[in-house]
Amino acid sequence: MILTGRKLSKSYQLGEVRVQALRDVDIQIYQGELVVVLGPSGSGKSTLLNMLGGMDKVSSGELFYRQQPLHAMDEKGLTRYRREAVGFIFQFYNLMPNLTAWENVHLATEIAAKPLSAKDVLIDVGLGERLEHFPAQLSGGEQQRVAVARAVAKNPEFLLCDEPTGALDFETGIQVLKLLRKFSREQKRTVVLITHNAGIADMADRVLYMRDGRLDRIRSNENPLAPEEVSW
Amino acid sequence: MLWRKMVRDVLESKAAYLACLVVISIGLMVYTSLNLTADNLWQAKENFYREYGFPDGFATVKGIPEAEIRRLAALPGIDQLEGRIVQDVRVIFPGREESTFLRLVTVGTGQGKTMSKVKLLAGLPLDPHQPGIWVDPQFLAANELKIGEEIPVIVGGRKVFLEIRGQAQSPEFVYPMRNAQDLFPDPRSFGIAYLPLPVMRSLAGEGAQINQLIFQLKPGFSYQDVESWLEPRLERFGLLALYPAKDQVSNFILNQELSSTEATANTMPLLFLAVGAVILYILLKRIIEQQRGQIGTLRSFGYSSREVQAHYLSYPLIIGLAGGLLGSLSGLWLSFPMTAMYQAFFHLPGLQGNFSLDYVLLALLLSVGFALLAGYFGSRQAMLLSPAEAMRPPAPPSGRHISLERWHWFWRSLTVQGKMATRNLFRHRQRSFFTFVGITFCFSMIAVTGYFNNIISVMIFDQMTKVQTHDIKITFAAPLSATGTRRELLKLPGIKRVETLLEAPATLKHGWRERETVIIGLGRDAELFNLLGEDGRRVLLPERGLILSSQLAEALGAKEGTIITLESALLRGDSISLPVYTIIPQYMGINAYMDKEALSRVLGQGELATSALLVAEEKALPLITEKYREASQVATMENRSQLLENFNEMMATYGFTIWILAVFAFITGFAVIYSFSIVALAERKRELASLRVLGMTPGEVLQILTFEQWLLALAAMLAGIPLTLQLISLMAQAMGSDLFTLPLIFEPNSFVIAAVGTACFILLAQWTLLRQIRRFSLVEALKERD
Repeated sequence: MILTGRKLSKSYQLGEVRVQALRDVDIQIYQGELVVVLGPSGSGKSTLLNMLGGMDKVSSGELFYRQQPLHAMDEKGLTRYRREAVGFIFQFYNLMPNLTAWENVHLATEIAAKPLSAKDVLIDVGLGERLEHFPAQLSGGEQQRVAVARAVAKNPEFLLCDEPTGALDFETGIQVLKLLRKFSREQKRTVVLITHNAGIADMADRVLYMRDGRLDRIRSNENPLAPEEVSW
Repeated sequence: MLWRKMVRDVLESKAAYLACLVVISIGLMVYTSLNLTADNLWQAKENFYREYGFPDGFATVKGIPEAEIRRLAALPGIDQLEGRIVQDVRVIFPGREESTFLRLVTVGTGQGKTMSKVKLLAGLPLDPHQPGIWVDPQFLAANELKIGEEIPVIVGGRKVFLEIRGQAQSPEFVYPMRNAQDLFPDPRSFGIAYLPLPVMRSLAGEGAQINQLIFQLKPGFSYQDVESWLEPRLERFGLLALYPAKDQVSNFILNQELSSTEATANTMPLLFLAVGAVILYILLKRIIEQQRGQIGTLRSFGYSSREVQAHYLSYPLIIGLAGGLLGSLSGLWLSFPMTAMYQAFFHLPGLQGNFSLDYVLLALLLSVGFALLAGYFGSRQAMLLSPAEAMRPPAPPSGRHISLERWHWFWRSLTVQGKMATRNLFRHRQRSFFTFVGITFCFSMIAVTGYFNNIISVMIFDQMTKVQTHDIKITFAAPLSATGTRRELLKLPGIKRVETLLEAPATLKHGWRERETVIIGLGRDAELFNLLGEDGRRVLLPERGLILSSQLAEALGAKEGTIITLESALLRGDSISLPVYTIIPQYMGINAYMDKEALSRVLGQGELATSALLVAEEKALPLITEKYREASQVATMENRSQLLENFNEMMATYGFTIWILAVFAFITGFAVIYSFSIVALAERKRELASLRVLGMTPGEVLQILTFEQWLLALAAMLAGIPLTLQLISLMAQAMGSDLFTLPLIFEPNSFVIAAVGTACFILLAQWTLLRQIRRFSLVEALKERD
């Protein structure tokens, strides 16, 4: 078991409104599995991902990474956790617009403990020819592949992906999913993927259904589909 | 990598950062160059004074025998005391109309002299048996004279030729001025000549007596001690003045220049650095708000908040470093020509530019310090965000009704753009405040510049058209009978009006305060020398009592009705007390005025005149000048054009300062307004693009920004008026001296100029904004999440 959460709750202030985003969620994530968290927008899945990634602290409940209590860590501890254990991939890529593809990846490996070569990873995701391109000169799919490379190159324990295909067309979306699956299978690393796209759930080992900030139900997939087989 | 990101970010908003860089550089250039120049000046002064023995005290008497001098030299506290003859003589250059003078100063030729030595720069030693002189190099240069040539002068009523044996410089005449009424040294019409005492005696007649004493103190004695011992002993020799080194004209002006340079060097840069820091702060705050998502991303893959903050600190740091280097190095470079410029004013032999990195380092420290301070405060808040919060778009700034909306008539009169702009003003209080301060600063600087420009014209115009309206002033070598002189002068062809003056050097005392000055006795019907009151109207002379210039009144702590004690060598009795009748503003000189007849009565020496003011037909003026040029009773002749020339010369120097000030005002003003406009635009790109999509023209969209700016500018300009007055009064105090006062008058013109200038910057800044709005890609602006 890599992550364990008990009765996780989170509320926050957004402007003048108070939002109860997560209510009493119990969750386990295992080593090497590919988990999809599925739910409509506003169901609390992004908040859950933020908690798992140490981006934010829970309002109440307990969350452990292996034996370490994330809920009790200070900012310094959480930064170290993100630096060493987590690789993030976002819906809108979140690349630094002022840095080239290679520089974006290198930016992440600079602070990692045992990073992979930024160039190798970019070649791996098929961008060997585009190392010196700025995000604005890349297509959406290419940008997301840079983002995947950036997360993978840190050599993290697991990847957290927030709607990684949300801004991509079907074909490029599939390519990105293939990369994630490859990371999961070949390196035996955990991938947590958040989406509202039910089609993607078919490639997961397990699917967690979220609704109204609660974990609604869990489904295990005996025979997950290959990324090229899923459709939406 | 973050380094590269910073460099590219900075380059992206290069105009705004450049503006900031320029402001910081200017500040540090001023700091480095002025401090270095002041150091050079100070160093040269100290060396020259020490090596050539600047005296500790000076006494001017009518005449004192040499035996008495030897007795005085034995007084306790006196280390060295020396007597000399100092006399101004007229130089007769053929074909020159304006008066030219040489001050003959006798010097010892013996060995072992340590006080007030004269540095021979070129030529031969003086010979006690030959009528040769040393002359200061500036006089020689200005009059195109060379060593070996002869200067025709009038001494003791006859014309003699003095051979120039060398050029020399004394620490006492580093800034040679004929009298305190002059505003500037004019090397063409006044110079210093040194000659041996026996030569002087042979020229002026054996009866010529020592009329000036200079002395140095023994360690452990103060000037005040020695003054109290000397003063009673000198009274009977006709003591005219007794003063310490600090009041010696050349030294006084040199010290004043030094302290004012240092004051400017240490205050003005702070202003510029503060402006630069504010711009940096605003720019950084903007970029951090804009890069919220990027901050979140960096944090998500493990950059700590400290690292992210360090990254954002590198923006101001690089600007601070670059500005510091650019400013201090250019200041270092500038210190050389500036020091050279001082060489023209202050004749210090050792004065030269020095290469020193001390101020460069200090300037770097200063700029980096200011930049980091700005960076720290600019980035502090953003760093408190949790990474998850940073990833979310910021909550919309709270939309609330503002108190101004309660003024219905005002609120209803606004267009929608106006309403948006007004609400924005109050929503971004901090930025509104800084913009306000920036515009106020810009406005005030232009207004101050305008004020100085105007004030000099006012001073000159007043002096020439209202105060001194004569064509020629003749000063007599010795007092003459007033009626006789007047009658004589009225016989001149083309003469229109003659008025005589009685000028008496005197010491005025009030309590413990005292001041050496000249009391000018004027006729009650005087028209050529007018005393003007605060309201600009003529003040009539009282039958009894003094009129004081405001400077003098302040120095004496005197008010209307205060009883002043008057002491003068010309006075028969000990002293006399007179009430102050009134106080008048006077920009130049520190004089006291009295009715001529009353002054004659007080002095008890009959009706005398020491000078005369003439008005004559224009074509008669050269004839009059020619007629009296070589007359022995005439000491000096001054005509209007000469006076005007002096004023203009003063204007030229101040003009330089004013132009520099103006350039600074322009750059700073533009930098502030421009960079703030850019920030405002970038921040509201989405909002403004949405309005464009709704169908507004770029001009209409711009109105939202401009309305905001004009509203702020109006308030800022109003606030700038009292600030300007405050600044002017501070500067007037700093720059005012015994020689002249800067009048504190309200000059609406300056404010009009300032308002127009400020408006120009704003328009220029807005024009660049409009160009940017036109270039907006609507689709991208709306899609952009950052």
